[in-house]
Amino acid sequence: MDRYRDAVNSDLLAVVPALNEEASVGDVVASIRAELGADVLVVDDGSTDDTAQRALAAGATVVRHPFNLGVGAAMRTGFCHADRHGYKVLVQIDADGQHPPGEVAPLVEMVRRGDAGGPVSVAVGSRFAGGSGDPYEVSALRRAAMRMLSRSVSRRLGTTITDTTSGMRAFGPDAIDRFAVSYPTAYLSDTVEALLLAGAWGMRVVEVGVEMRPRETGVPSNRSVRSAYHLLRLMFVISVFGVRRPLQRTGL
Amino acid sequence: MIGVGLIVLVLAAVMVVAVIEAVRRRRLSEGWALLWITVAVAAVVLAMARPLVDRLATRLDVAYGTSLVFAIGIVFLVVVCINLSMQVSRLNQRVERLAQELALATEQRTGDGIAEQAPESPGDPGSSPG
Repeated sequence: MDRYRDAVNSDLLAVVPALNEEASVGDVVASIRAELGADVLVVDDGSTDDTAQRALAAGATVVRHPFNLGVGAAMRTGFCHADRHGYKVLVQIDADGQHPPGEVAPLVEMVRRGDAGGPVSVAVGSRFAGGSGDPYEVSALRRAAMRMLSRSVSRRLGTTITDTTSGMRAFGPDAIDRFAVSYPTAYLSDTVEALLLAGAWGMRVVEVGVEMRPRETGVPSNRSVRSAYHLLRLMFVISVFGVRRPLQRTGL
Repeated sequence: MIGVGLIVLVLAAVMVVAVIEAVRRRRLSEGWALLWITVAVAAVVLAMARPLVDRLATRLDVAYGTSLVFAIGIVFLVVVCINLSMQVSRLNQRVERLAQELALATEQRTGDGIAEQAPESPGDPGSSPG
């Protein structure tokens, strides 16, 4: 297996999955480099606008999928990149500016240093734990579903996770190594199932309260049917969890 | 009669076991597994609820309850087939796109071993005929 062990400028890689975010990606990349001192990888997931060019201009390394694969697949690409280049810490940051880099720093520190309980492999930024309540207009049904998921996940992990679908997370080297192969790609699985996998591998998952900026663009319509299906699918995944054969490392 | 219901139940159970085993081996995605397990459950429900099916058939002017079940089954399978055709079409487009990107990414130049395409003048040594 040919893996390049050179960390480029830093041991921290910020992965920014992006789909048609030309308006905000440049600023996001610049603020990450300024505030976190991290290398930035923008994974262009099949954008039809200038996302890749703007990201390059702002100083990011850019990887482009030939067609849209979804956030989970984009993150897996990011994990592969981090694994090949020997990054010690990977942090996920959205391209739309919802994740302020300042809020991400405590997650990175948590993964680097660990906490009172020992080393931490995954640090999750939660909107609901200690932050100023959630700025999202989430319907009551959605909130109930998210609460059910967080209860189920918390029970399996043995720690409290209140925001299982949060996209603001930091990962340590052991998590990077495993997620480069096994990061789930389906919608909702990329967040929730990833936490369950980490727990199943014996890694510590810890939650940190963060503040996120509200989304500027409008709320997408008719998401409810799709979300309901993925929630059902995820519940099925959780019920057969542990029974499935592990994914193998292949290729490069 | 209990006979038919039992047969359907056993077949449905076998189907559910096969589906879960395929998921375990990572040969079937969880989303599809959900669909086929639902179909198995629906089959059992229909087999158990014969009087209901017969009543619905009469309401819809269908002669036999069994005809209604067949009709529903066939329509359902046709819809699934059309959906699968669309997924195959999409996959083909993506594979083609991937192949092109790979070919472009592994582009080779002269000196790499590929014959020159530029026409040679007749006086050049080593020029091939025609």
